[in-house]
Amino acid sequence: MKELVFKPIAGRTEEIIDAILQTGEVASCTKELYAIHLVCEELVVNVVSYAYPEGVEGYLKIQIEKADGCITLKFIDGGVPFNPLERDMPDVSLPLEERQIGGLGIFLTVQMMDNVSYEHVGNENILTIKKKIDDEK
Amino acid sequence: MDNQFVINQEGNTLTIVLGDQLTTGNAPALMEELNGYKGKGIEKVVFDATKLAYIASSGIRTIIFAKQKLGGNPVIEFVNCAADIRSVFEMTGLQNYISFVSK
Repeated sequence: MKELVFKPIAGRTEEIIDAILQTGEVASCTKELYAIHLVCEELVVNVVSYAYPEGVEGYLKIQIEKADGCITLKFIDGGVPFNPLERDMPDVSLPLEERQIGGLGIFLTVQMMDNVSYEHVGNENILTIKKKIDDEK
Repeated sequence: MDNQFVINQEGNTLTIVLGDQLTTGNAPALMEELNGYKGKGIEKVVFDATKLAYIASSGIRTIIFAKQKLGGNPVIEFVNCAADIRSVFEMTGLQNYISFVSK
C-alpha cells in the first residue's frame, strides 16, 4: 500500500492529482486511467476547495492499493464531516436546457467506479473508491 | 502541457479550439470567456476537440453553460471527439444534445 500525504493543500490541486496519477499503481491501470483521473480530480478539488474552513491549514492523505484485480484509493481529510454520497444526484434525463450546471462530479464518480463508500472515523472523512482493473494489454 | 483554448467568432458561430485537457484548472477561464458572448446572437458553438484527450466534470459544466447561458439555445457541435470523452457525455446524457462531427 502506498500513501501520499499533502499538507498544506491550498492551491495544490494539480500537483496532488499529478502525484496520484504518477504512482506506479495508478499509472499501470492504462485502460482505467481516464476514469481514475476524472474521479481523482473531482475528489481532490472537493477537499482542497471545501473541506476546511478558510485559513485552516488542511491535509489530504491518499492511500493507494492495487491487488486482486482491483485498485483502491482512499481519500482521507480532517475537514468538516461531509458525505458527498448524500448529495442529490443530478437528473441526467432532463433536456440540456433544463439541467443544473453543477453536481456532476460525484455523479460521475459513482458511475465510473465499481464501488464508492464514505465513513467518518476519528474526525476524518474517508472516501474509498474501488475500480476493477483489466491488466490485459 | 497544452491546457489552453482559442475562441473565434465567425458570424453567429463561435468556435473553441480546445487544448489537450479541459479541467478544473482551465474550465472556469473558458466559462468566463464564454460569458463575454452572452446575448450576442450566437447560434452555434463548435468545440474543436481534435487535441482533447481529457475532460473533467468542470469541462462538461462549460458545455451546459454554453447551451443555457449564451442565449438563443445554440447548437452544440463537437469536432473529432475521442471515445473516452464521448463515453463521459453518454454517462451524463449529453450525447443527444451534441452533434458529433469527424473532420
